Amino acid sequence: MSRHLSPMELLVLACRLVLGGVFIFASLDKLQNPEGFAQAIHNYRILPPALLHLAAHYLPVLEALTGALLILGVWRRGAALLTAGMTVVFIAAIATALARGLDISCGCFHTDGGHGVGLSLLLRDVGLLLLCLPPLLARQDGWRPFSRRRS
Amino acid sequence: MGYPAFAPERRSVWSVSLKEAGLILLLAVVVTGGTWLLRPQRLPLLADATVYELELEAPVVEIAQARHFFDEGAHLFIDTRPGDPAGRPTIAGAFVIREARFDDDLLALFDILFPEDPIIVFGKGDMLGANNVAARLKARGYEDVQILRGGVSAWQAAGGDLGSAFVPLAAGQQDSADAPQEDTEQESAS
Repeated sequence: MSRHLSPMELLVLACRLVLGGVFIFASLDKLQNPEGFAQAIHNYRILPPALLHLAAHYLPVLEALTGALLILGVWRRGAALLTAGMTVVFIAAIATALARGLDISCGCFHTDGGHGVGLSLLLRDVGLLLLCLPPLLARQDGWRPFSRRRS
Repeated sequence: MGYPAFAPERRSVWSVSLKEAGLILLLAVVVTGGTWLLRPQRLPLLADATVYELELEAPVVEIAQARHFFDEGAHLFIDTRPGDPAGRPTIAGAFVIREARFDDDLLALFDILFPEDPIIVFGKGDMLGANNVAARLKARGYEDVQILRGGVSAWQAAGGDLGSAFVPLAAGQQDSADAPQEDTEQESAS
């Protein structure tokens, strides 16, 4: 009926839950306030203004979707790959903002202010990127609901 | 016989990951469209660029005024477009300072460009890269910096003189200047 999870399955599960939670939480304010998020993206000055609304609508949905899929364990590797890809983009954006000396809010979790761009933010995102690796590469799923194999 | 935790499987990890990722991206497009349609107050999908005009780091100079400065010859024009300037038409006699190679390009102009010089920076058109270079120039003590509205596209459209960029080479810069450029600034794609 039930079995113990292996250490690897536990690791994958923990990474999935943390990443999924972080990405879903990050999407909530952006989904409610796309205009504020568009402004937050604009502050980085790396995207042409005409594309700001498209990005402000699409990115939070992608974050919420990948977060939910990670937690549910559905399309785990694809979700982990996209999460890693988004995190790499965030790291690049933060790094370029730092290199250009921009004093801006990161727009990561809150569209009105929030954490300023800095080295600590960069390290946090590198940590998130590392969390993407077990769900992406591991053979085992860890726990997932709706799976007959686990019941 | 057990498998190692990260052992390769019969189906490639990457082919599975990419296939799933593609499906998620498509699903996100559908969900984005749906949520956009359901919003009571919808932002237009394509933003009006003027709403998000840059908080520019330097004053803007219009084309007509810039052409007047060009004819006077007192201002230095700086091409900020990414990529290899060789063979690329630009404002005649303009120097090159690219954001991605800012330090190297500025170093190459160390005996040409002085902090008291009046400078006009320009990009391809949308002022994004030019604004970033202007900000960095001002941070280095160049006070009289202006940004050309419309960039080289507007200059060309207004019938301004085009020519080659002036690219002085500092010692030891020959190799890097000849190397292919891999700048990927947004402006190049616009």
